Amino acid sequence: MSAIERNNVKVVGSGERAMVFAHGFGCDQNMWRFVAPAFEDSFRVVLFDHVGAGGSDLSVYDPDKYASLGGYADDLVEIGHELGLQGAVFVGHSVSAMIGALASLKAPGLFGSLVMVGPSPRYIDDGDYVGGFSEAQIEELLQFLGDNHMGWSAAMAPAIMGNPDRPELGEELTNSFCRTDPEIAKAFARTTFTSDNRADLPKVTARSLVLQCSEDIIAPTAVGEYVHSQLPNSELKIMRATGHCPNLSAPDETIAAIRDFV
Amino acid sequence: MRPSRPSATLSDDGDLPDEDLEDLYENAPCGYLSLRPDGRIHKVNQTFATWLGYEKVGLIGRRWLDLLNIAGKIYYETHFAPLLRMQGSFHEVALDLVTQVGTPLPVLVNANERRDAAGQVLFTRITVFNAKDRRRYERDLRDAQARADKAASALQALNAHLEARVTEAVAERLKAEEALRQSQKMEAIGQLTGGVAHDFNNLLTVMIGGVDAIVRQVERLPKSPEIARIRRSADMALHGARRAATLTARLLAFARRQPLAPKVIEPNRLISGLADLLQRTLGETVTLETVSGAGLWRALADPSELENALVNLCVNARDAMPEGGRLTIETSNAYLDEAYVATILEPVAPGQYVMVAVTDTGHGMTPDILAQVFEPFFTTKEVGKGTGLGLSQVYGFVRQSGGHVRIYSEVGQGTTIKLYLPRVTENVSEEARDSPNRKVDGGGEIILVVEDHEEVRAFSCGVLRELGYQVLEATTGRHALEILQRTSDVALVFTDVVLPDGMDGRALAEEMQRRRAGLKVLFTTGYTRNAIVHNGRLDADVEFLGKPFTFSDLAAKVRSMLDSE
Repeated sequence: MSAIERNNVKVVGSGERAMVFAHGFGCDQNMWRFVAPAFEDSFRVVLFDHVGAGGSDLSVYDPDKYASLGGYADDLVEIGHELGLQGAVFVGHSVSAMIGALASLKAPGLFGSLVMVGPSPRYIDDGDYVGGFSEAQIEELLQFLGDNHMGWSAAMAPAIMGNPDRPELGEELTNSFCRTDPEIAKAFARTTFTSDNRADLPKVTARSLVLQCSEDIIAPTAVGEYVHSQLPNSELKIMRATGHCPNLSAPDETIAAIRDFV
Repeated sequence: MRPSRPSATLSDDGDLPDEDLEDLYENAPCGYLSLRPDGRIHKVNQTFATWLGYEKVGLIGRRWLDLLNIAGKIYYETHFAPLLRMQGSFHEVALDLVTQVGTPLPVLVNANERRDAAGQVLFTRITVFNAKDRRRYERDLRDAQARADKAASALQALNAHLEARVTEAVAERLKAEEALRQSQKMEAIGQLTGGVAHDFNNLLTVMIGGVDAIVRQVERLPKSPEIARIRRSADMALHGARRAATLTARLLAFARRQPLAPKVIEPNRLISGLADLLQRTLGETVTLETVSGAGLWRALADPSELENALVNLCVNARDAMPEGGRLTIETSNAYLDEAYVATILEPVAPGQYVMVAVTDTGHGMTPDILAQVFEPFFTTKEVGKGTGLGLSQVYGFVRQSGGHVRIYSEVGQGTTIKLYLPRVTENVSEEARDSPNRKVDGGGEIILVVEDHEEVRAFSCGVLRELGYQVLEATTGRHALEILQRTSDVALVFTDVVLPDGMDGRALAEEMQRRRAGLKVLFTTGYTRNAIVHNGRLDADVEFLGKPFTFSDLAAKVRSMLDSE
């Protein structure tokens, strides 16, 4: 199977350079629906779903491979190679900011610049490092996920999962935009919230933009500042937008920031 | 606190008064919240505040997110806030709120964005349903579903393997039937050999007795070449008869009808005491090695029979190693569990055993030979080289002792025979029952002999009279009781176990001892299967002399009993 099919890759727009949008934990490529169209006239816009999310092929989900962000980065590199990308702009939200950074290390030349929206190299506090969550909180999260079908009522979640032939069931019950397999989402949560990629940041050579929201409980401002300080060639932009998803809550501000950078 | 219900009534025109609307909002069966675009609480109803244990005013201005547990916060920010922004609403999302005292409150949450004409978000309406019970039902449902799935897949697997299972079951059944046939055959052979041996013992008693008498008479005559020839012939006859007696003893052992005198034994000590004899039996080309298990339990078995068994096994091992080799005798504690004994057709009790294993490096045996090795007279040795009774003695002895025999053999590799003897669990006297303090002195006491076999009776009475005793004879139990009635000073009764006319030796002894407490009774029999022996073991208080016996056997036994307290 090609990476294009596996990751439900969509390519739109025209332009010399490509701009790859990667969604984070919790949604799919719909995350970029208010932002990506703004770049279609000047970029070859590439959208995709991580395996386990949206329209990706759930059957190839491999718990071992996706137990670390490196597995997701490998997929991203494969997509880049299949599309023949060189010096592309990578725009990654949340955990995908780090996945893009890892891919840029695995395949030098693939991305010329990285836009990181709400990045965090490590979510758990560690000594002087502020990640935003205590170890106990993440442990509580993982424990809770072990016993609960988070988000969807428990009786409905099996119906969503148990009817791969009728995805509309899940859509009707929940939504038509951010489809994620509940079980895979749990594993992705573990991978995301136990990751630590601080040591990779200083190796990133691509020029980078860190977009940091106010009042982001997932990636607080201190984390954005840390990322900026560790990346050798980066800019930090603190946004007026609040929360973790400025691409949805403040698409215009996000678009403007990206445009200024590229 | 919940406000008191509004007192206003419906107006005549049917419009709801404001109080009623407020009541509808505040005390609805669900929680209502209005969030400002920045996610902070702008308005909240009483129901929600009560559920969470807060004052309403204390909730105003707080972030909605902060009321969720950690998983809820993360999922809300990463899943449901985006969803709300994209589709303007979400429906029945399961989240956990945290009450003021820190306990979780499972809820279902609906959310709708209200926008102005320009598309700007005015506020977000959150509706919260208490899902405490529902979450529990869901969990039960999910568990039931999981159990049903498991049962269904188990059933599927069962069906898939049904054919294989039937084949397996039939094969198992055939194997069990074959084992049953084998066991019935062994039992039948046992009955036959036991019966034959019993009759032979009576005859041998007479023959040995007769030759014994000849020898004793001859010794009193003046020496001459003729007398010497008679003496040699008598010795040969006696030797032959004793060998015949050994054979019948082995037959009885196989038939599990030999009288056993089980004692508490320490197998390691018994083996080291036997090592010299075994090494001589094995010859110079076979190395004897003993591996003694540490902390070995004591076993309950007849020591002389165990020695016989070990000698028999050594003889077999030696014959299996004509070019020489190594014989290892190993001991260890063993536990035969339920699962193991279930695989054995013979009734073996699960529990603790002392294992004695004899391993040779000989030529081994094929499976079809293995199936027959315990049968009496089965031998792989050349005609005249073996009796075919060695392993059957081992088998009979161990089985009669409540133990178990296992044999492992590989052609070209060697053979291991494992004897499992029951561990001692009760206090059994360790003292030798049959002390070898053999006196041949006679005496003048009155002895009552009860024996239906005329020739045996004649021999026994003859021996006792020769030793100086006064002998009274009876052929049945009733006859013996009459004699006892008339004679007050009978010192000892010597009785056969099997007697005609409905009263056996044991019943007779009991009756006699009831009438005369402390009366000494000596039993004899060709085999002892019922009265005298329980499960092949001598009763602890019973004196016994097995047939065939010799002049000196009888003399020594009688004297030692008369001399004992």
